[in-house]
Amino acid sequence: MTDNQKKELKLLCFVNWMVARKFDDDFGVRDLDSLKSVVNLPGNGSLTCFLGERLSNRKDLYSQLGWFVYYMISGEPFISKNRSVVLLMLIWALNYYRLEFDVEALTDFIIMLDPLKQGNSDISLWLSNNCR
Amino acid sequence: MRRKIIRVGSSRGILLPREVTKAMHWEFGTEIDLDVNTDRKEVTLKTIKVSLPDDYNLEHLRGIEEHLNLHADVLGGIDD
Repeated sequence: MTDNQKKELKLLCFVNWMVARKFDDDFGVRDLDSLKSVVNLPGNGSLTCFLGERLSNRKDLYSQLGWFVYYMISGEPFISKNRSVVLLMLIWALNYYRLEFDVEALTDFIIMLDPLKQGNSDISLWLSNNCR
Repeated sequence: MRRKIIRVGSSRGILLPREVTKAMHWEFGTEIDLDVNTDRKEVTLKTIKVSLPDDYNLEHLRGIEEHLNLHADVLGGIDD
């Protein structure tokens, strides 16, 4: 794993702990391989959009977010609060990039998302159409 | 402050005054650190501090926590 991927992985674990503590639920990693899949983008890339680095290309941002959402929801790397971590990180990232979006629509999308029917590119497409 | 050792089942315990637990934000079930120094005959109770790795950006984490608090109503129920 690259340094960025390790940093990303630690950040997600911390966010899982933060969310679980807030809502009085269990925290921790259920499946480390699934968590590694979340931060290991094709070509050994990482989710740099969460590290405070501003991506210059909007397409890269949607692509990274689509990957993140898909692997978090399909792999369920944490014991609990997987979708909450997804939604929180999306809200943070979309605000960080000053994109306009409807929190309710985004929440519904994350709740209803079925990884057997929607892949990472479908998710990227939804984000690019609804968060601008 | 003086406290008496009391019996708790077959163990010994002490009761912490309300003002102490309130000041330390210790609720029922909160885990705390207990250090024993037998040389000095001292026992210290401490809040468990989560230490962050050096490469964490605190401002970044605070930003995420702000959104967690701001959107707690939606985030709290989506995994149920």
